[in-house]
Amino acid sequence: MALRTILLTVANLLIPVAILVFATGFFPYKPFMPGLAEYEELGWDNVLGQGWQQPPEAPFDKLIFMVVDALRSDFVYGEESGMSFVQSLIRDGTALPFTAHATSPTITMPRVKAITTGSIPSFVDVILNFAESDTTSTLATQDTWLAQIKAKDFDDGKGKLVMYGDDTWLKLFPNFFERADGTTSFFVSDFTEVDNNVTRHVPSELLNSDWDAMIMHYLGLDHIGHKAGPKSPNMIPKQKEMDDIVRDIYNAIENEDHLSNTLFVMCGDHGMNDGGNHGGSSPGETSPALVFMSPKLTKVTKNIKRESPVQPKNEGEFEYYRMVEQSDIAPTLAGLLGFPVPRNNLGVFLEEFIGFWDKSSDRVQLLYRNAKQMKKIVEAKYTSLRFDETVLESKEMGFECSGPDASHLTDGQALACLWHSVVDTMEVKGDFVHHIYKFMREAQKTMSGAASNYDVARLFVGTALASIICGLSYFTLPSFRPVTPAGIYYTLTLVLYAILMFASSYVEEEHNFWYWATSGWFMCLFFNNMRKDWYSKWIFHPAIMALAAHRVIRRWNQTGQKYAGADDIVNSGIFHGGNSFVLWALIGATYMDITIRLSRHVARSIATFDQEQKVRNVEVESTDQNRMVGTIAVLPLCGTAFVFKLAFTAKDAPELTNGITGSMMEWVVTLDLIGLARMVFGGLLLSGSWITFAEWYRSKWRAKRGAQGNGDLAVAFFDLTTLFLLTQTKAQNIPLYLLFRLQFFFLTLLDLTPTAVTLTTLLLTQTSFFALGNSNAISSIDLSNSYNGISDYSVLAVGLLVFLSNWAGPVYWSLAGILLLGSHGRPQRYINTSELHVADWIVKEREFLNQMARKEEKSREVRRGAGGEWARHVGLMTLWTGGMLAAVMAACMCLVRSFFLPWRGGLHGMRGLRWGLGVWCGGWARGDFC
Amino acid sequence: MASTTVINANATSKLQPSTAAPIEPLKNDAARLYTHIHPILVLSLYAFKFPALVADPVSTLLGTLAPLAVLQIAFVAVCMPPTGGAPTIKKQKPGEKKPKGPGQLEQRLNSKIVPAFLSLLLTAIAATPLLTTTLVLFGAPVSTHHLHTLLCGAHIAILSTLPLVYVHGVNGETWRQIVALLLPMDEVYGGLIGTVLGAWLGAVPIPLDWDREWQKWPVTIVTGAYIGYAVGKLLGGTLLKGKKIMFD
Repeated sequence: MALRTILLTVANLLIPVAILVFATGFFPYKPFMPGLAEYEELGWDNVLGQGWQQPPEAPFDKLIFMVVDALRSDFVYGEESGMSFVQSLIRDGTALPFTAHATSPTITMPRVKAITTGSIPSFVDVILNFAESDTTSTLATQDTWLAQIKAKDFDDGKGKLVMYGDDTWLKLFPNFFERADGTTSFFVSDFTEVDNNVTRHVPSELLNSDWDAMIMHYLGLDHIGHKAGPKSPNMIPKQKEMDDIVRDIYNAIENEDHLSNTLFVMCGDHGMNDGGNHGGSSPGETSPALVFMSPKLTKVTKNIKRESPVQPKNEGEFEYYRMVEQSDIAPTLAGLLGFPVPRNNLGVFLEEFIGFWDKSSDRVQLLYRNAKQMKKIVEAKYTSLRFDETVLESKEMGFECSGPDASHLTDGQALACLWHSVVDTMEVKGDFVHHIYKFMREAQKTMSGAASNYDVARLFVGTALASIICGLSYFTLPSFRPVTPAGIYYTLTLVLYAILMFASSYVEEEHNFWYWATSGWFMCLFFNNMRKDWYSKWIFHPAIMALAAHRVIRRWNQTGQKYAGADDIVNSGIFHGGNSFVLWALIGATYMDITIRLSRHVARSIATFDQEQKVRNVEVESTDQNRMVGTIAVLPLCGTAFVFKLAFTAKDAPELTNGITGSMMEWVVTLDLIGLARMVFGGLLLSGSWITFAEWYRSKWRAKRGAQGNGDLAVAFFDLTTLFLLTQTKAQNIPLYLLFRLQFFFLTLLDLTPTAVTLTTLLLTQTSFFALGNSNAISSIDLSNSYNGISDYSVLAVGLLVFLSNWAGPVYWSLAGILLLGSHGRPQRYINTSELHVADWIVKEREFLNQMARKEEKSREVRRGAGGEWARHVGLMTLWTGGMLAAVMAACMCLVRSFFLPWRGGLHGMRGLRWGLGVWCGGWARGDFC
Repeated sequence: MASTTVINANATSKLQPSTAAPIEPLKNDAARLYTHIHPILVLSLYAFKFPALVADPVSTLLGTLAPLAVLQIAFVAVCMPPTGGAPTIKKQKPGEKKPKGPGQLEQRLNSKIVPAFLSLLLTAIAATPLLTTTLVLFGAPVSTHHLHTLLCGAHIAILSTLPLVYVHGVNGETWRQIVALLLPMDEVYGGLIGTVLGAWLGAVPIPLDWDREWQKWPVTIVTGAYIGYAVGKLLGGTLLKGKKIMFD
């Protein structure tokens, strides 16, 4: 017994260690070179001319950088685009269009990092994107083109920056901007206000001449995408709005003297898929537009005439004009505005712009500086190879560059060879531009791959630890005899899941496995119960009813990638527009159910202090009067929660409240959301403490009388948590909790063995996670409920709310599983067994009641926890978690080589994290209050 | 309110494992031979029709329904003892009376034709809707593919329940034991379990990203059912014969 506890404790302590070790190996922290780059001595006087040490003169001295969030390439270049002015500029040759390939993860913060530093952000940045902490992910100390502009000497002193739009920039660049106005994407349903807050600053800033770079970041288009997808009727008007802003700015550049040397860049930070979401690596998500605009551009475009609008290179994809890397923006801006290329840059100066410099030595110098900066990164990576700036013999290099078979070279050696051919052409004046671009492109490709290098040793340690967890928890399990259906099914599910880990397409489609396994398990429960107790109305057997509920639950939200955007219950239209009263009726029913449940708990707690009854009975039953008071006491709490949900939805998803009109709605939308949420949370806390106190008082009373009785705290806690989770759930998902409650009720009717309870819990935690619309993709994380009751940002509180709102289903079922295990959900009635024998009842009735009473006692014994059931529950949970972790980690290691997209690997890893957090916490939230 | 359920459960009987012996195939050469040829024939029919099935599931499933039924009836008629011929406990059999014909041959034919007709009828009106409903409960599409799902259910029904009705008739007790998995394993019962498990496992490849035409609904389910039937019949008739699914 003691040994078992120790083993379990060790195993559970190892779980976070294993995850941490593995995660640090899988998402290594990449060191970056600190400090700002400076122009340095280059040498090569014979090529570049003597005494030139000044860099080539820059064609531009001001920058307007306009980011339109999720501006996919076809929104600008396609035939259905609303941006006719930009297209006319492309035809005139005053705009240079590109498609800028954005590497996954295609979410804003890593993309902004790539655009400004020119490097490829590591996966850690994704997590930081959600953590949004002010200190860890800032770019204040890194070399970016913002820092370079700020450090550059302009005519009127150091460079000045202004910023309007997404406050990601303000977080990344604290104290960088002279003037700034941040906007947040708090409500995705806000299509206009969030952009007007940017646009209103534009006219006055165009008249100001004190800034050197103005950055704008529009969020409205992304909001439309998230809400209604790229085909939304709001999309074209939004593109026209953006086009008008471009027109205003471009006209100002043409007409205002102080803006005449201004480079105007418009780009998207990422694109969107057909569902309007982003985060992954599909062509739509990775193909944002990139346009450089200025009247001066005619100098470099006069030779090539560009058509617009055009068709993409491949039908159905989004490659328009030339495909460049997003990181190329940084060195290009450096060249065009005349500052050194940022240190960690892996981008390549866009060759279209090289025509701005007439002298060949200027061109050579510009490209050579870019190449030399990249060479430094390559050199730091491949320390054993030589990247000298003089011509080397192959003896000095240590290997042969030219040969019959060039494929024998390693990545590093190939780069060294390319570098030396650059040096060669500097010496002998060969086709310099060709060679230097070849080197830079190859370096970009190799080093971008290296950005997601893995620390294999740590991966191994992590996997080994996970296996140890499996081993430890395996030995804590009680004997496998007798063989039960639940035991067999548990083993089969775990084994099959571990195998499916290696089928990488099941990463996105994992929900299908759980839906499938859960259906099978309910059927198995049906057969198993039928053989124990033949149930004549078998169509209405609880297991079949639970299966039917499961069938509805799995269709509620379509998740995964293969059938993304397919019809589901939420999007089928039965909840939208005028029909939204259907949704709100269901939501109302859910809240009503929870109100009744809570009122019972409060009634019971009031009855505790009923002096009259206490004299007669040990266990005080609540009277009708108590119930009445209880209902009155809970109504304000549940009512507030419901009104909060209504008010929140009216702002967050107005299409779901259209059907509800009238003065009530008008009143609701004026309410203060933060205050409401705080009232709900406070009410929950208050009720929780009151019930806890009453139960404590009861148990003390029982102990005094030496009697046995039922605690009710676990159920009360469960119901309070349910109300909390409802507050953290999107309105359209709330009816799911009614279905969960039904399933829970049906499960209590089945006589489940402890192992069966554990397995049911595990399957349903998974099912509910996916049924609530989540998936393994990071883009499915829902942030809309993460600021409930919080007025200013706090990492801990927001993090907790994000966790609870996304893992609400697993939390619900983990707790429900504990209740099932302790038989709390069963109809409970305190029956004094000694009375039964005295009473003159018919034999059958007595037998039945006797059995009921014994059931009570039995379950009480279980709850008091001789420890057996609990240890088994925790043991199975731990084995499950360990098994999953080991499988996920092993699969990651095996598949690492075949991942050309580190993204999928990332998904795998995220799943590991999810497991660590989700089930593990759930498993450990074991009922100490039982 | 829940207590009523408990009373009900209390009042119902606990099923006892069947004491009946497993179904033995008929003891003649034709039966011994054909019982092994039959699964091969069924699988060949399926393999032959597979490309057409992938191309046009509905019409192919509809077209193969009759040949499959004929094959199954031929199998039970040649190899299996009809209901009543098997040593099952008979209490009452609604809708079935043993005809007392004068001729020996006629009687033998009648004893086969009636159960065969009965099994076909029950498969069509009872088993098919039931299995289709089960498919829907397990996640078959509700708003589309109605014919696909119905025909898939019909194929599973013919594979699994047709022989079962033929050998066991409509005895309520036996069917309860069938549902409760308490019957001893034999070729027919093995075929049922194999078909159902196979159809269930057939759903696994659907979400994979192989982008194959055959991943569409309900090709994999039907495939699983056919293969499961053959495997279950083989194992039930040989290795697992007479075993019962018991948990201690």
